[in-house]
Amino acid sequence: MDLAAIMPASYSVNMLSPVYIRSARAICAQDTFGNNDLPGELTEATGNSLHYLHPDYSKYFTIMQLRRMSRVTRTGLVAAIESLADAGIKKPEAIITGTGKGSIYDTEKFIQNILEFHEGTLNPTPFIQSTYNSLNGLIGLQYGASCYNTTYVHRGFSLELALTDAMMLLQEGEIEQALVGCFEEISPEHYIIKQKLGAWKKEPVSCRELIASKTTGSIAGEGTFFFVVQKNKAGALAKLSGLRMLFEPTVAAVLDELTSLLKEHHLRREDIDLVILGYNGDVRHNHYYDAVLAASDTSTCIQCFKPACGEFDTAVGFAVWMAAWAAQRQQVFPSLTIRPAMKGPIKNIIIYNHYQAKDHVLYLLQQTED
Amino acid sequence: MRSVYVTGMGIISALGIGVTENRSALLAMQSGISHSSHLNSLLKDKLPAAEIKEDTATLHNLLRYPGQLFPNRLVSMAALAMEEALGETAYQPGMGKMGFINATSVGGMADVEDHYTELVDPSKSEAAINLLGDTLDCGHCTEELARHFHLARFIGTVSTACSSSANALMYGARLIRNGVLDGAICGGADTLTRFTLNGFNSLKNIDRNPCKPFDANRNGLNLGEGAAYLVLESEEMMYASGRKPLAVFSGFCNYNEAFHPTSPSPEGEGAYRAMKGAIEIAQLKTSDISYINAHGTATINNDIAEAIAMKKLFGENMPAFSSTKCYTGHTLAAAGAIEAIFSVFNIRHNELYPVLNFETPMPEIKLLPLTAVKEHTSIEHVLSNSFGFGGNNASLLFSKYA
Repeated sequence: MDLAAIMPASYSVNMLSPVYIRSARAICAQDTFGNNDLPGELTEATGNSLHYLHPDYSKYFTIMQLRRMSRVTRTGLVAAIESLADAGIKKPEAIITGTGKGSIYDTEKFIQNILEFHEGTLNPTPFIQSTYNSLNGLIGLQYGASCYNTTYVHRGFSLELALTDAMMLLQEGEIEQALVGCFEEISPEHYIIKQKLGAWKKEPVSCRELIASKTTGSIAGEGTFFFVVQKNKAGALAKLSGLRMLFEPTVAAVLDELTSLLKEHHLRREDIDLVILGYNGDVRHNHYYDAVLAASDTSTCIQCFKPACGEFDTAVGFAVWMAAWAAQRQQVFPSLTIRPAMKGPIKNIIIYNHYQAKDHVLYLLQQTED
Repeated sequence: MRSVYVTGMGIISALGIGVTENRSALLAMQSGISHSSHLNSLLKDKLPAAEIKEDTATLHNLLRYPGQLFPNRLVSMAALAMEEALGETAYQPGMGKMGFINATSVGGMADVEDHYTELVDPSKSEAAINLLGDTLDCGHCTEELARHFHLARFIGTVSTACSSSANALMYGARLIRNGVLDGAICGGADTLTRFTLNGFNSLKNIDRNPCKPFDANRNGLNLGEGAAYLVLESEEMMYASGRKPLAVFSGFCNYNEAFHPTSPSPEGEGAYRAMKGAIEIAQLKTSDISYINAHGTATINNDIAEAIAMKKLFGENMPAFSSTKCYTGHTLAAAGAIEAIFSVFNIRHNELYPVLNFETPMPEIKLLPLTAVKEHTSIEHVLSNSFGFGGNNASLLFSKYA
């Protein structure tokens, strides 16, 4: 049956209206949080891991409060608080997060407690905090925000599922803004679990040499990224115009999707000013990025981001954060440049990332129109 | 906004494999709650649970086509429910864009927890055990199913504790209504684990006897395991797939009450707003509701808060209500989808299933759950509630296809 004949034209796929990124905050191994900037010199990985550079939590919480909070609760709440403050918002109208692994430390602690105390009387706190939506609940409590609240837990699609949800909410017309974030952490135990699956490099690697590496695996990382997205453009850093997710596609399918994304927004490939690629130094998976790079115009600036934050389920949050600021400030972080630009303003930005060659995502971000 | 129809269902729970076995057990008032045999827990003789009778290998072998599916308990259960939901229909790209939204609260924990010490020991490395490391999260099961059932266009996983699959269904319906997708298979799966049994036990939320929803002497929940998926389609996709509507997925609401990390507000504000929101989206009145499949976990806090919320919303025109947690146990992330399927049973067969073990009405409120099977009664609109940790409240509304 020819579906086009029975389906109204307006039901073509990917028809969500663009939304605006009003604020963007990043907490990761680099000093990105305070000034929404990336220092010229990247902090080096230790033991092939890039660990959180923690903000000064004492500005936000009492010692008593901190004692009860797990790592990702701290990074998540602080990133949420500052994103909302940047946007001048007293209470979010929706709270949506994405995380691949949630609070790994709490999950591990509760597994260990069960073994250690032979299923006796256990402290419920790690169990509660291991729940993937516990950060969402705490953000809601912090702001007394009784509203739409949900959590996506799908590896390399987690942030995109959350953003798609926010785009739908704004299109459905009930609300004007939403808090969207993603968070991840790495623990020594989880490092070992993933090491056995071949996720990390066997030899020590410098961040600066990660992309050029000729071996398998990447370096571990962790990061928390929060954004306020809104319906109107007032005060926005950038416009999120399009978002695509592909599960285990061929290289050709990725390129087709990129072509259709550009076509849908009436863009030619020479209109793309910046392409941010998720290169993580794993030779098994570079060919996807190589293909998108090869399909880019020679005048387009090409950047990477995993030398700064490492590899994890929701690392793409770093790319969204840097793209939003690139659109706003009209400059890029030089330490992450693979190929410099040969032209002027940064109007159109493509992000392409995949997680373990399975979850592939494409973003189109644009400079906010005057 | 487009209408969303339920065109397929698949389920596995302690009541049995498939919709027929589940419905028969409900009609016969047979509970799946007893003492578990497969769960590796020191508490299993003390704390009853609703375990699926078959062991994991048997479940895997029951699949019509196991293919390359990872043979852990979660994936085997989920795949059985998916096979039933999809039936003989092979969704082709020309029928429209079909997505897959799954939900789970602890992913593949059941198979991981027995090998955890070895998994994190750098000196040990056995290939079969190492692979379990990839199953600990929530995305693994979804990706196994997506690959196996060729559902790779738009996939995702939700985890909002006990309301997870209600939120997965809601997300799928909204993706269809907003035109992002034309159809979506939505639901969830959770297995019994030592992790969750001890977790709820540490919160002192588990009854040592079969649970008593809405009873004055209720003393907590029983955990269960299961998987359930519903096929949702737009009208256009139904024409293309040739599938028949079993019910209309007419309303839904997600509302977080921001009250407490694990307890509902005493006045049931979240439950009230979620139910009210679902009825409003469907453009119905409270008097249109025929029956409520309550969250009804039989914890001390939930049932009174939920009862107060229902009373506040419906007043003197309280529809029949009950909870089916006393049959299936609380299946956590699967509960929303399992109870969505029971709601479709209510509508399709014009029958209602009562609570079990009910003796004494709650003294705080004049509200009696249904205590006997009701048949040959016209059921037009059914609300199904799922509430979870973090203040997460979700309510779904299913309606008869006219």
